[in-house]
Amino acid sequence: MTTSLAIPQHILDDMIAHARELAPHECCGLLAGTGGVVSRIYRIKNIVAMEGAQNLSSFDSAKAAHLERLSPEERAEIAFVMDMQDFSTAKKDMRNNGLDLQVVYHSHPHDPARPSVTDIKIATDYEEIWPKINLPIPAYLLISLMHATPDVRSYWIKSGEVSAAPFTVR
Amino acid sequence: MIKVRIPTPLRPLTKNQGEVDVAAGSVADMVDTLEASYPGIKSRLCDDSGELRRFVNIYVNEEDIRFLKGKDTVLKTGDEVSIVPAIAGG
Repeated sequence: MTTSLAIPQHILDDMIAHARELAPHECCGLLAGTGGVVSRIYRIKNIVAMEGAQNLSSFDSAKAAHLERLSPEERAEIAFVMDMQDFSTAKKDMRNNGLDLQVVYHSHPHDPARPSVTDIKIATDYEEIWPKINLPIPAYLLISLMHATPDVRSYWIKSGEVSAAPFTVR
Repeated sequence: MIKVRIPTPLRPLTKNQGEVDVAAGSVADMVDTLEASYPGIKSRLCDDSGELRRFVNIYVNEEDIRFLKGKDTVLKTGDEVSIVPAIAGG
């Protein structure tokens, strides 16, 4: 786990652009780098609107039931599911370039930049998965578009507890 | 035997076991063997044509089977398989 995080301005701008391009749907992606300094962004497709994705194993039964009642378009406004084919391609690129995964990001088009109950639950389930796929536990970064100026914040999520993971922009 | 790691959200299907041992010669064989013991698990992993769903990964010894031979990837005794659900949130 990296304790400090630095994100270049152009990567921050790219994440916000990604969020705005997909709004009102949620966007998602990964940031990688070395020594706590981000150097690469990977935009990942949000496939929650795909057939079957609402029942996917990541969601608990209450959230899945809620998502199932919505249209695919509506689902993408309140949830994201990463395309795991994109994810593996990004993971391979990181390995080939000697980069570490540092951040998992997604947008909240209508809500504040803090992890939802679902975000916390899935991040907690994922804690035991990261080491098994040879990746460090990342920080979780949220981009809120609820106000005219985007709000970007990052967090550590450990055993269900959320703490701020402030980052610097360079 | 092949050791298969089951992620938390699928454990209700595997009687809450986080790891199960199966005898299988390929990933497709492993999925069918899991389905025989834990009905319902196959449809969570594969679509109707048997292809891996885009919201699930299967890693064999840390390599995504999409970069190996997909569901035809050969498994041998001692291999470790991880079923990884998509990173997701709300």
